[in-house]
Amino acid sequence: MIDLGQYALILAFVFACYGIGSALVSVRVRSPRLLASSENALLSVTVCLAVAAAVLMRALVTHDFRLEYAAGYTSLALPLRYTLTAFWGGQKGSLLLWSILLAIFSSVVVLQNHRKNRELMPFVGATLLSVQLFFLVLMLFAAPVFEKLPIPPADGRGLNPLLQNYWMMIHPPMLYLGFVGFSVPFAFAIAALASGRLDALWIKTTRRWTLLAWSFLGIGLLLGGRWAYEELGWGGYWAWDPVENASLMPWLTGTAFLHSVMIQEKKGMLKIWNMVLILLTFWLTIFGTFLTRSGIITSVHAFAQTPLIGQLFILFLTLVTVVSLALLFKRLPLLRSENKLESLVSRESSFLFNNVLFVGIAFAVLWGTIFPVLSEWVRGVKITVGAPFFNRVNMPIALALLALSGVGPLIAWRKASWRELKRNFRTPVVIAVVAMCSLVAFGIRHVLSLLFFGSCAFVTATVFLEFYRGARARQSMMREAFVPALVRLTAKNKRRYGGFVVHLGMALIFVGIAGSSFFKVEKEATLSLGQLMHLGPYEIRYEGIQAFRDPNKDFVKATLSVSREGLPQGQLVPERHFYVTSEQPTTEVALRSTFKEDLYAILVGWDAQSKAAVFKLYLNPLVQWIWYGGGLLALGTLICMLPRQLLVKSQRQASKRETEHVA
Amino acid sequence: MKSRKWSLLGGSAVVVGVVVYLFVTGMRDTMVYYFTVGEVLAKEGKIGKGARVNGHVVPGTIHKDVMNLRLEFGITDGKQTLPVVYRGITPDTFKEGAEVVVEGKYDQAGKTFQAHTLLAKCPTKYEAESSASRTPSNSGKTSY
Repeated sequence: MIDLGQYALILAFVFACYGIGSALVSVRVRSPRLLASSENALLSVTVCLAVAAAVLMRALVTHDFRLEYAAGYTSLALPLRYTLTAFWGGQKGSLLLWSILLAIFSSVVVLQNHRKNRELMPFVGATLLSVQLFFLVLMLFAAPVFEKLPIPPADGRGLNPLLQNYWMMIHPPMLYLGFVGFSVPFAFAIAALASGRLDALWIKTTRRWTLLAWSFLGIGLLLGGRWAYEELGWGGYWAWDPVENASLMPWLTGTAFLHSVMIQEKKGMLKIWNMVLILLTFWLTIFGTFLTRSGIITSVHAFAQTPLIGQLFILFLTLVTVVSLALLFKRLPLLRSENKLESLVSRESSFLFNNVLFVGIAFAVLWGTIFPVLSEWVRGVKITVGAPFFNRVNMPIALALLALSGVGPLIAWRKASWRELKRNFRTPVVIAVVAMCSLVAFGIRHVLSLLFFGSCAFVTATVFLEFYRGARARQSMMREAFVPALVRLTAKNKRRYGGFVVHLGMALIFVGIAGSSFFKVEKEATLSLGQLMHLGPYEIRYEGIQAFRDPNKDFVKATLSVSREGLPQGQLVPERHFYVTSEQPTTEVALRSTFKEDLYAILVGWDAQSKAAVFKLYLNPLVQWIWYGGGLLALGTLICMLPRQLLVKSQRQASKRETEHVA
Repeated sequence: MKSRKWSLLGGSAVVVGVVVYLFVTGMRDTMVYYFTVGEVLAKEGKIGKGARVNGHVVPGTIHKDVMNLRLEFGITDGKQTLPVVYRGITPDTFKEGAEVVVEGKYDQAGKTFQAHTLLAKCPTKYEAESSASRTPSNSGKTSY
């Protein structure tokens, strides 16, 4: 059975090779039949990979420990849901996940463009299959996922307890969907360059794909933060670790791309820039994977790896760079701008600044991440920059971007007039100033945080105002009620208003980031039974400690009762687990989360005799806002992506109902 | 037309300039040197305001005082051993033989490395679980 998986991979490899070759030859000999054949090869790759994935899944579920992977990442006692998610619990399985997702995306692209974009499709297919080929090579030669053990063990080693968490079940697939999704616009960009069809066609065709990839990546990042927050027990959700940075970088350049393509669509400008951005974004998705896989970054993440994987990654990255740049230079004369920037105060220039800032942040993240390697290379000394560097550089840039996200959408194309500016921005600016003043009145003196909160208020105000104005205008023109006017307004300009919702989500996220970064309180305390401690407005009493056991683990629970100004607020029960299959203990955080703040408790240690215990407690303000912001981010993207037909249909029904109603 | 072009260039230059300024000052103020155990001992602690050192925890050297959040251990690069005193929460992955990174200062009087940050990696078990996985070992130090 396991061999079937290996054969499927080999077959996929053969199909991929044939598909690439036949696609490229079909351009030469102008043969639509050959192109069709190459597309069938692409679909066959997907079928083969589906078989391989099914084989792996079956081996995991049936506890077939002949398979090295199953023995390494699952055990008999592992709950079914984690047995399933162990699919991407390890390096090899996650490569297969990447591969199968790419295959599915590629197939959808081929089927979608069955009759369209025929000039582009040979190159699109060839590019997607080349990426696929790289992963197949990894799985066949460097990280054999279907490797068998000569003597199967009686039980597996089990999944790392840290991965036995709800968020970890969905975080990697989300992130991968994002990473893999960017392959599609990348393939179309390469196809545009290779075929010479350099108008906005490739951008329009892949608009939804880009949005989809971007939102999955963003949600993946947030889920990862949530996992870190709840599972790792250090009181934070983001540590500027190389592994986190690896997935943040393509998100940043992807965000820049999402914005700058609008300029190309509307004004025919920034064509080279857009090409560079999408090539860079794709490159960063692969580079990010390389960083985390090869161990070139000496951090605690430097996973023990076979050097072959690293070498293959470097080879592939070089190949991507060379091919992309060669094509780009070849087509440079065709990528001239059709328009010029006319004013410093215009939509175009606000997009331009947006792009400079996003790329600036991405570069800062890249720089900080690879600096240890660079400095050792150049000067022979290893120098690291940690979280302080990232915060110092990125916080001001992020603030500028946040403010810009309020300004940009309301500023006119070409050239904004002073009168318009005053009309659009008077109310939001007043609201932002009022918000900041009232925060100062409440005793907040932290300048940077005030600026962040003020900008968030500003963005929020612009968004609401814009919805309100639009709906009002529709109301008076079309004689509709306010709510239907609002809905139809959004439906008619999905991208604009969906974008507003995304901006609103970002504003909420930044409220959370600012609150929890600048106003966090943390305290370590050794408490004897019954002892009381204070944290912010809370009084916390240590009530007791108990040990338990279940088949999977031993665990210890400490109970803390929380009250605020004399009123009981419930209990916090931090735990420590000792899994049977793993040598290391894990910390289970106790979390009491409200809109205003999170109370976060960790049990550090205890004395078995006196029952005295050591706790670490955090008061993290406004963290919940980040997760709500993430929800809005998803909602906004969804609005942008709603298919047109659906809206037209629902609108027709609505108007029909209305006419009936009137009659 | 010309003045517009200049104002645009000027605007972009200001933005780029500010970003570069943030970069340079950020680098200057937050750089931390990375040393091996041998280098720290060779320099007799003259390693500046702060440093990171990595090595493996020497078996049998761990003294843990949970109640006072104090941890003493030695780290080695295979040849020499550097005694470390760490105050804070011990990461779950910390144990004998584990590869660790400590950040802090060398105390010349006590001939120990006073660490305020301890990152540990489990040498045998922890493999890449996904491209976005994190370590379990973000120690007491917190950052966003």
